[in-house]
Amino acid sequence: MKRKLIAAVGAAAMVAGITACGSDSDSGDGGDKTLTIWAMDGSAPDAWAKELNKEFEAKNKGVKVEIKVQQWNGIQEKITTALSEDSPPDVIELGNTQTAGYAVTGGLADLTDMKSELGYDKWNKGMLPSTELDEKLYSAPWYAASRVVVYDKKAYADADVKPPTTREEWIAGLEKLKKKGDKQPIYLPGQSWYVYAGLLWDEGGDLAVEDGDKWKGALASPEAEKAMNFYKELQSFSTGPKDADEATPQQSTEVVPKGDVASWIGLGWEAGGAIEAIEKAGDKADFGYFPIPGKTAEKPGSVFLGGSNLAVSERSQNKDLAKEWLKMATSQKWMKKYAEATEGALLPNSPAAQVTPAKGSFAEAMVESAESGHITPITPGWANVEADPNPIKEYMTKVLKGTSPSDAGEDADKVITERVNKS
Amino acid sequence: MTVHTQGAAPVAKEPPPGGPASGKPGQGVRGKPTRPVNWLPYVLIAPAVLSLLVFLGYPLVRNVIISLQQLGRTEMISRTTVWTGFSNYTDLLTNDNFWTVVVRTFVFMAVNVALIMVIGTLIGLLLNRLGKKMRLVLSLSLVMAWAMPIVASATVFRWLFDTQFGVMNWVMRELGFEGYEQHNWFESGFSTLAIVTLLIVWASVPFVSLNLYAGLTTISGELYEAARMDGASNWRLFRSVVLPMMKPFFLITTFLEIIWVFKAFAQIVALNGGGPDRASETLPVFAYVEGMSQMSFGTAAAASVLTILILLIAMSFYFRLMLKQEEEQ
Repeated sequence: MKRKLIAAVGAAAMVAGITACGSDSDSGDGGDKTLTIWAMDGSAPDAWAKELNKEFEAKNKGVKVEIKVQQWNGIQEKITTALSEDSPPDVIELGNTQTAGYAVTGGLADLTDMKSELGYDKWNKGMLPSTELDEKLYSAPWYAASRVVVYDKKAYADADVKPPTTREEWIAGLEKLKKKGDKQPIYLPGQSWYVYAGLLWDEGGDLAVEDGDKWKGALASPEAEKAMNFYKELQSFSTGPKDADEATPQQSTEVVPKGDVASWIGLGWEAGGAIEAIEKAGDKADFGYFPIPGKTAEKPGSVFLGGSNLAVSERSQNKDLAKEWLKMATSQKWMKKYAEATEGALLPNSPAAQVTPAKGSFAEAMVESAESGHITPITPGWANVEADPNPIKEYMTKVLKGTSPSDAGEDADKVITERVNKS
Repeated sequence: MTVHTQGAAPVAKEPPPGGPASGKPGQGVRGKPTRPVNWLPYVLIAPAVLSLLVFLGYPLVRNVIISLQQLGRTEMISRTTVWTGFSNYTDLLTNDNFWTVVVRTFVFMAVNVALIMVIGTLIGLLLNRLGKKMRLVLSLSLVMAWAMPIVASATVFRWLFDTQFGVMNWVMRELGFEGYEQHNWFESGFSTLAIVTLLIVWASVPFVSLNLYAGLTTISGELYEAARMDGASNWRLFRSVVLPMMKPFFLITTFLEIIWVFKAFAQIVALNGGGPDRASETLPVFAYVEGMSQMSFGTAAAASVLTILILLIAMSFYFRLMLKQEEEQ
């Protein structure tokens, strides 16, 4: 049961690498209104969405809600095109690192007036910043998720390693696993930049910082260097490629199921995918989960809190209905159901809607690290930085291959600064 | 005036269809009897001209217009037009990266075209000398290499040179070379472009060889015999018989290959996306990456206009050579 649900969850918020294709089925409306929702692959559990839409349709006679599932790969171009048209989808799910980039274009409806209706004050404070721009509200948070360390319980037991709570313990455990020698202690490709971002936040640094009314890259800083050195240390335990991210090859389905990996860092849907692939091959997966260890045992390591927001498009033909739907979907009642449907593997938008995750589950480890959740810089230009060729990834590969962190950082900062200030 | 253009002159002097410019009455009277016949060429060429205008001319004009604008996500969604004059161009022309890419493109093109022409010619000559059966086998393999879709072959090459599972690493190890356990063939821009070169040369040689072979069959055996009688060596035979006879072929093929290699896009993108760290980008890939990944379509349009201009300037010398060649005939 858990397996299926985790797989269904697909908090794909921060991961690319799935081939894109969209459903283009058209709806013939005989005088009735059709409300079109664009949700990302794996975001809306089927049962939850069906129940929600049924209730919404019952409340609003003659309205039909249609959810069209989109793929993350190439989504920015697709949303840009959609928002520039006369009849865009009415409600759109936006990745939290990309929301500001669309808010600034004027393509999203201003929801500031609905703040109290939407329950603004009750929202998770970590998810709030990405929904606003210049003190105006452009979207409502929906869900968030973060990465944890997934480990093979048997491999850990064989090497007599326990889930660590500090970085020192983590490295010591990896050393032990390495001595044992039959599996790579941790699979970590060289460009897993959300993992790196977490290490950077641990050091008190950031990917980009505000400089007057502009932004500038901050990878040439001593904090970035320290974080990168630790990443390098971790990466030295892995035979993963130094010049690829976790999606090439897809770690969950192409690397881990081969069986020589003792641990890896992934999201809920990745863990689900790996379990499924292993079982398909006729084996049994026995995964344990722990939060990425922090510098001290008191606080788990920082993680990127990826997630999604729901927004209404400015040119929507049914704006009021769209706002109604958005309000309902993100209400506490429905978010609670949402959290239940995903067994807590996705954090709902308010702490009040959260469910207690099962013991030893992925969700448990994730909720533990949620207090250390961070997000990439909130500025419209951030989406440009993330776009491939991503300067942060290039920076990581360069340092792993021996370039000095400050030189590589300066190169990267140049690109980041140029891109982040473009809207 | 050459024979060629003279032949075309009477048609060209005819007033354009529908044009009010059929001014001089005298001419109209004289042209009267032949007029209905002379409509035909225009009618026949109209579909081609029309489709060229619609599918090539219009996008080209749009592209030039966009290159004078700032056009990104914001402008698209808010439907504003922001004219920026030539700033897209000046930004590019003062950008060091752009010039690196220009130089890289030309070096890449020169190496590729040289390899394609030399290897293609050698194989073409070989085809001419082979026996019936072997010629059939070789022609078939050439046609198959040529018929292979670009992205499919790029994917196969990507796997051949894969770091973990690639055949090439295995081959190198079997041959006894050290350091090919996990060798990354796409480690630098140079090595990536070397593999792209291999792919492009492999896929382009068939065109040159097969066409050269077709051309060679038109040279009568007597010429070779005569040359042999005079004691010509193989090299001399090639230089003094094949080369002059095949000169138009070599000119037009080199010309085509230059254009094709210059605009090679799918091979580079499919192999490594212009990476690592943008070090294997050529001009078309550069324009694409600038435009699509950053959604700054103005810059991309400017880059593509510059690409066309650069190619035109570079080719003008070649154009002249070709025209001269035509005149000589």
